[in-house]
Amino acid sequence: MNENEQTQQDCFEQRRRWLGHVGMGVGAIALKLLLSQEQLRAEPPILKDKPHRDLIPRATHFAPKAKAMISLFQHGGPSHMDLTDPKPELTKFHGTDYQGEVGFSFVNQASKKLLGSPFAFAPRGNCGTELSELLPHTSSVIDELCLIRSMHTGNNGHEVSIRYFHGGIPGVLGRPTLGAWLTYALGSESQELPAYMVLSDPGGHPVDGVTNWSNGFMPALFQGTVLRPKEPRIFNLQPPAHLVGEMQTQNLQLLQEINRQHTYLHPNEPELYARMATYELAAKMQLAATDALDISKETQATLNLYGIDEPETKEYGTRCLLARRLVERGVRFVQLFHSGQPWDNHDSIAKNLPAICRKTDKPVAGLVADLKQRGLLDSTLVHWGGEIGRLPVTQEHGSPDRAGRDHNGQGFSIWMAGGGIRGGMAYGKTDDFGHKAVENVVTPNDFQATVMHLFGLDHEKIYYPYNNTKQIITSNRPAKVVKEILA
Amino acid sequence: MIRLCLLVYLASLTMVCHAQDPLKEPSFESDIRPILREYCLDCHGATDKLEGSLDLRLVRFMLKGGDSGPALVSGNADASLILQRVESDDMPPGTHKVSADKKAVLRAWIAAGSATMRPEPESIEPGIPLTESERAYWAYQPLTKPNLLKPIDGVGIRNGVDQVLADAMPEGLTFGADAPRATLIRRLFLDLIGLPPSQPQFEQWMQNPSDNWYEQLVDTLLQSPHYGERWARHWLDAVGYADSDGATLSDAERPWAWKYRDYVIKSFNDDKPIDRFMIEQLAGDELAGTKQEDWTPQQIELLTATGFLRMTADGTGSGDNSPEARNKTIADTIQVVGSTLLGSSLNCAQCHDHRYDPISHEDYFAIRAVLEPALDWQQWKTPPERLVSLYTQADKELSAQIEKDAQAIATERATKETEYMKEALDKELMKFEEPLRATLRTAYETPADKRTDEQKMLLDKNPSVNISPGVLYQYLPAAAEELKKYDAKIAETRAKKPPETFLQSLSEPAGHIPVTKLFHRGDHNQPTRQVQPGKLSVLVPEGTSKTFQVDDPNLPTSGRRLAFAKWLTQSESPNPLFVRSFVNRIWMHHFGKAIVATPGDFGKLGTPPTHPHLLDWLGLDCIEHGWSLKHLHRTILLSTAYRQSSTRDPVRDAIDSENRFYWRRDLQRLDAEVLRDSVLALSGELKADLFGPPIPLQEDDAGQVRIDPTQPRRSLYAKSRRTQPVAILQAFDAPVMGVLCDVRPASTVATQSLMMMNNEFLLEQADKIAKRVTQQLTQQTAQQTAAEPIGNSTAWKLPPEPASRWKFGTGTFDTPSGKLVSFTEFSNLSEGRRMPGTQIPDPTTGFVFLTNTGGHPGNRSYPAIRRWIAPSAGTVEIKGTLSHGSPNGDGVTGRIVSKHGQSGNWTVKAGNGETNVANISIDADDTIDFVLECGENETSDSFTWTVKVSFRPNDPTSSSVVFDSAVGFQLQQEDYSSLGRRIVGAWQHLLRRAPNDQELDAVGRFVQSQLDLLHRQPERLSSGNSISDQVLVNICQMLLNSNEFLYID
Repeated sequence: MNENEQTQQDCFEQRRRWLGHVGMGVGAIALKLLLSQEQLRAEPPILKDKPHRDLIPRATHFAPKAKAMISLFQHGGPSHMDLTDPKPELTKFHGTDYQGEVGFSFVNQASKKLLGSPFAFAPRGNCGTELSELLPHTSSVIDELCLIRSMHTGNNGHEVSIRYFHGGIPGVLGRPTLGAWLTYALGSESQELPAYMVLSDPGGHPVDGVTNWSNGFMPALFQGTVLRPKEPRIFNLQPPAHLVGEMQTQNLQLLQEINRQHTYLHPNEPELYARMATYELAAKMQLAATDALDISKETQATLNLYGIDEPETKEYGTRCLLARRLVERGVRFVQLFHSGQPWDNHDSIAKNLPAICRKTDKPVAGLVADLKQRGLLDSTLVHWGGEIGRLPVTQEHGSPDRAGRDHNGQGFSIWMAGGGIRGGMAYGKTDDFGHKAVENVVTPNDFQATVMHLFGLDHEKIYYPYNNTKQIITSNRPAKVVKEILA
Repeated sequence: MIRLCLLVYLASLTMVCHAQDPLKEPSFESDIRPILREYCLDCHGATDKLEGSLDLRLVRFMLKGGDSGPALVSGNADASLILQRVESDDMPPGTHKVSADKKAVLRAWIAAGSATMRPEPESIEPGIPLTESERAYWAYQPLTKPNLLKPIDGVGIRNGVDQVLADAMPEGLTFGADAPRATLIRRLFLDLIGLPPSQPQFEQWMQNPSDNWYEQLVDTLLQSPHYGERWARHWLDAVGYADSDGATLSDAERPWAWKYRDYVIKSFNDDKPIDRFMIEQLAGDELAGTKQEDWTPQQIELLTATGFLRMTADGTGSGDNSPEARNKTIADTIQVVGSTLLGSSLNCAQCHDHRYDPISHEDYFAIRAVLEPALDWQQWKTPPERLVSLYTQADKELSAQIEKDAQAIATERATKETEYMKEALDKELMKFEEPLRATLRTAYETPADKRTDEQKMLLDKNPSVNISPGVLYQYLPAAAEELKKYDAKIAETRAKKPPETFLQSLSEPAGHIPVTKLFHRGDHNQPTRQVQPGKLSVLVPEGTSKTFQVDDPNLPTSGRRLAFAKWLTQSESPNPLFVRSFVNRIWMHHFGKAIVATPGDFGKLGTPPTHPHLLDWLGLDCIEHGWSLKHLHRTILLSTAYRQSSTRDPVRDAIDSENRFYWRRDLQRLDAEVLRDSVLALSGELKADLFGPPIPLQEDDAGQVRIDPTQPRRSLYAKSRRTQPVAILQAFDAPVMGVLCDVRPASTVATQSLMMMNNEFLLEQADKIAKRVTQQLTQQTAQQTAAEPIGNSTAWKLPPEPASRWKFGTGTFDTPSGKLVSFTEFSNLSEGRRMPGTQIPDPTTGFVFLTNTGGHPGNRSYPAIRRWIAPSAGTVEIKGTLSHGSPNGDGVTGRIVSKHGQSGNWTVKAGNGETNVANISIDADDTIDFVLECGENETSDSFTWTVKVSFRPNDPTSSSVVFDSAVGFQLQQEDYSSLGRRIVGAWQHLLRRAPNDQELDAVGRFVQSQLDLLHRQPERLSSGNSISDQVLVNICQMLLNSNEFLYID
C-alpha cells in the first residue's frame, strides 16, 4: 500500500468510527423513518394506486430464482451467423444472390450476395451446442448458458431496437428501462449502494446515451446510477479530492452539531431527524461504494480468470469483476455497456469481429465461471446480447476482405445464464441463412416477461400508474414467459 | 381506455368493502346502487342500449325485468334472477366478478324486501340519474358564509381565517404565539417571492419601528415583481407547463410556451382579478376578436392567455398525428380543466359514468363539446399549425424581398443537385458491365410507378443503384459538401429577415361548429349520440338549463368556452367547485398542506376537507373584494394562524400531533426552485431580471442535466423539457411534466444529501458565498471603527494555530564545526516577504529576506535561513533545487545543516543545481537549516531554493509526510485575525443571525480540527484558497446543508 492509499484508508477509518457512534440524537427511530422512506407530506391519498417512491425490499409474486441480474449489453448487433448460429446453407451458397426480401440501412453498399461465415463452428461442452471459433472462452462455459437463436425485434435500426429491449416499445423514448422496473418492483437489498448500476465504457457512452438507463416516467430514484470509468465514479457520491475523507467528515460533524442545536428549537420534529439521518446514509454510501470498487484484495487467480492480467481484456474484465462485486453487495441490476457500438460490423467483419470478441470473450466467460464457483450463479441472472443481429448478405466495400454485414432485427441470438435459466440448451431457430427467426420466436417483450418471471414477478402485475393508465414494462404488447428455457 | 377502466375498477374493490356496515339493513340507494353501478349498469341502464332489455336503474325496473323476465322478487332472494346470475358468476361477464361480501349484501337486501330510502321518481332521464345524496355532497353545495362564533380580538384572533379555525378547534387547543420577527421575515420572503431577504432588507424590517411593520412587509412583498415569479410557478405546476411537446420519441421543443409563462407572471404581478384571469385563459381568443392589420398588444395578451389550453403533451406535430394521439391530447386537456379548475377527476368519466362521483359520461362529453370547436380531432391542427405569427405587415414585405433572393440561390442548388445525381449514377453504373449497365440505367430513370416488373426486380437485385438525394453523400461526399454550402448560403440570406416571433395559442376556425358525439367506452371509433356543450349536471339546479349556446351569434367564434368561463367565474352564485378548488390551492402553498389534501379531486375519492367553512369564507371574501388574489393572500397572511411559531408543544401534540387544527405552523422544506434560487441569491450571482426565452440545459458526460451556468437566473426560467429534467431540481421533487402536478411530494432521501454535499454547483456556490462574506466584512470594517464584538459573544476566541514546522530568519554558520551557532527569526511579513525589519535594505542586516520560493541573502554575516523543525523522531530525505539567476555578482552558496553538522553545500552562479540529501536521522524538535550565503558580496544575489523534506517517522504506526518549503511559507503567511469575524459573518449572511454559544463552541472545535488537518495536508487547499478561506467555504457549505436553511420555520 502506498502512502496515498494509507491516508485514504485512515480517512475512511475515521469516517467509519464517526458513523459508528453517531448517537447525536438521530438514532434508530429517524433512520427507520427514513428507511420506511420518504416523508411524503400532503401526498394525495386519493391516488389509491399511488406508486411507491422508495427502495424497501418488496415481496415477489412467487418464489424467485434470480435475485440479481448482470446484463452484458453488446451494442451494435453481434453477427450471429459468425458467432452463435452456424449456417451451412449460407456457406454453401456463399457468393450467390439471396432470393428473399431484405431491408437495408446502407443502400449504397447494399448487395444481395450471400456471405458465408469465414469462421469455423464446432460443438461445445457436454450439450454440444455449436459456437464459432471466435468464442473459445464462452465455449468453455456453454453448459451454463441458454442460447436463444430466435430473437426478433422486427426493426433493423439500432435505437429503435435498443429502446424496445430497454423500455418495451420499439423506438419510444421516455419509458423506464428493465433495470428501473426491477428496482421499482423489488426495491434494494442494499441501503448503501444504488440498486441499479450502469458500468460505462471509458471510451464514452453507448449509442442512444443516457436513454439506456432512463427512469422514464418513474421518479429519478429508479434511474440507473452510472459508475463512471474515471473519477467521479458515481455522480455526486464523492466530493472533489480536497474534501474527500477526513475533511468532509469534519464538515459533516459540524453540520450534525449545528443541526442538533437546531432540534432544540424544534424538538420532536421527525422530518428534521430524518433529514439528519440522510447525511449519515450518504456517508455510508460513500464507504460502501469505495469498498465495492476496490479490487486490490482479489486473488491473482480471480484476476486472471477475467483476463485482467492481459492488456486486451483488462478493461472489460475489470468491469465484469466489478459487476460481480456489486451483485455480492446487494445491487439488484448491473448493466455493462460498450462505447459506441463495437459489434456494428458493416465493414471488414473478418478483421473487426475477432477484435471485439477478444476484448470480451474471456471476461464474459470468466464472470460466468466465477459466479458459478462462488455459488452465485444460481441466484444471478446473466444476460449477453445486443439489440439486433446482422444480415446474411454482403455489405460491399469494393474488396472481399472489406466485406461486412448490415443490420438485421429479423433474427439474431442472445444468451442467458444462471438465475433459474436452463443451462446447456439452444432455443429457437432462424431460417437456413440466419435472416429471420422462424421457430420459437422470442421478442424483447418476451425477454422482459421472462426476466421478471425469474425474479418471481408477474410482469403484468408490476405496474406504474402514469397519466391515468397502468403502465407495465411491455406496455400491454403481446409478451410471454418463455417457459422452455427455465430450469 | 380499457386500462383506465381497470384501474378505477380495482380501486373500487377496496372502497366499497369498507362502506359496508354489517349492523345496518341495506338500502337500495346506499348499498345496492354502488354495487350495480360498479358491475351492472354499464350494460343495464347507463346507455340507451339495454342488454336483454333489462334496466337496473330503479327497483321498479328490476321488478319489471327484461327479456328473461323479472330480475327481482322482493323478499325471495333465491327466486331473484339477478342474484342467481350474480352468485353463479354468470354475470358480469369478464374476469372481475362480484366479491362474496357484496353478493351477501345483495342477498340480504332482497331478502329484507328490497327497500329504498325514498320513493322512486316518476320519470327518469337517459343515463344514470343523480340522487339526492349525490347532490347533497359537500363540495357541490353553494358557498355559504359560516356563522362565526369567536370574536376578533386583534391578538389571538385577528380575522375571519382565525375565527373559522378557532371555532373548529377541539377543547385544549388555541393558536400558538406569533413567531419571532426574524422568522416571520424569512417566512414571508420565501413564501411570497421565493428568495431570502438580503442583509439590508432583513435589517430594515427588523428595525422597522411601526406597529404594523408586518402588514407593511406583506404589502411590499406583494408589490415585488418576484412575487409573480414565485406564484406563477405554482400555477404552472397545476396547468402542466412544459417547454416541449412530449408524447413522441423526439419530445419536440415547444419554442413559444414561455410567452404563456410570462403572461402568468405578469398577471399575478398585476393582480389580475381571478375571474378575468380564468376567462382570458379559457377564452382569450373569443374576447380578442379578429385581426385588423397587425395584432394589438391587448389582443396579443388575450391570445397568449389561451396557452393554458395548449399545455398538455401533444405529439401530433412531431411524429404521431394519429386519431389516438389527437384524442389523447384532448383528453389530457380536459383532465387539466377538470383537475385544476373544477377540482374534479373528470377524466374518470371518459369511458363511462364516474364510478364514485355524480359525473356522467354525458357530462364529460358536454365539457368536451365546449372545447370541440377549437380542439376538433377530425379537423385537427398540429402545434406548429396553431402558432400565431406576430409578424407585422411591414415585416412581411421586407421578408418577401429577402425570400426572393434566397429562392434564386435555391434554384441554383437544385440544378447542381441534378447534375450530381447524374454523376453518382454514372459512376455507380460503371461497376456494371454492358448490357446490364444500360438496362439498369433505363430502369432507374423510369419513374417508379411506370417500371416493369422486370425493371423492379433488377433494381431490387442491385440495390446500390437506387440513389436518392438523401444518400448522395454515400456516393459523392464532396458533392454533398458542395450542396451543403448552398444550404448555408440560403440559410444565411434568410437569416437577414426580420425575426418572426409567435404565440402558442388556442383559437377556433371562423364558423366552425362541429357536432360532438359521445364515444362508447371513450373510443372515438364508436361515436353514439350527439351531446350539447354544457355544465357539470350536479352543479346545475334542477329545472334550469345545463347547456351552453351551441353558437353565440354575437361572437365570430362559437362562444362556448367564453360561456363556460363565465359560468365558472360568475359572482352572483359562485361556482362552488371552482372557487373552493382555487382557494384551496392558494392555502396549500401558504401552509404546505391543503384544506382538501387532494386539490385536483374534491370528489369521493379525494380527501375530505379539514375546514370546509374556511374554503367558503375565503372564497366569498375574495369575490367580495373583486376577485383579488392579492387580497386573498393578504387575508391569509395577516391571520394569526399564519404568523404562529412552528415550535411543537407536548400538551397540544397529545391532542393533535398532526396539527390538523392549525395550532402551530408546520415546517416546510424549501421547494426545489426556492433552494436553487436562494443559493444563487446568497452568492450574489443571481440575475434577477424577469421574463424571456427559457435558459438552455446542458448535459454533462454522465448524463446529469444542469442549467447553463452562464445564465444564473431563477429556476423558473430553466427550460422545462419533459425528457430532460434538471438533476438538482428533480432531486428536490420538481415535477417532470406528464399531464400536470397537483401536489409536489417533499421527499427526504440520501441522494439529496449527496447532491448538497458534493454537487459541483453547490460547491462553487459555497465558495462564492464565502468570498462574498469576506468582502462584505471588509466593506463593513472600513465603515466601522474600533473592534466590533464578534456576534453576541465577545469572549469567543479562535483556537491556537498548530505549531508550524517552518521558521524564517538569519543567523551564524560556524564553518569549523559545520553547525549553526545562532538563529534569529524574522519578525516582519510584508508583500510576501519575511524580513528582519520593516524595509529592505535594513540598516543592520542589509538585503536579507525570504519568499515562498527563495529570497536574498544579506552580507556575509546575515545569510538567509529557512528552518524546518521535526515533529518526531525519524529520518528525513531532502530533494531540492537551488538557482541563481543573475550573471552579475559572484553567486551564492547553499548549505543543509543539522545537529550532525553540514550534510551538503552547493555554490551556484547564474545557474542551478540539485540539493539532494539522504537519510538524516533526527529526534523530535530537531532542526534542519537551509542556509543561503552570498559570495564575497551580496549584489545581484536573488535566488530560489525550494525543497521537499520527506519525513519518515520512527513510529511505525505513523505514515510518511512530505513537507514542501513553498507550502510551508504559505501556511505561515496565513492571517487568521479576521477568521472569527468571517465565520460570524457567514452565520449572519446565511441564517441572518449570529451563532449562539454552543455553536461557537462547536465551530471552535471544528476550526481547530480543520487547521490541524490543513497543516498536515496543505494539498487540500482548493483553487488558490488560503487555509482560513477553505475553512470558511466549508462552513458556508454546511450552513447551506443545515436544517435551518433547508426548512422554513
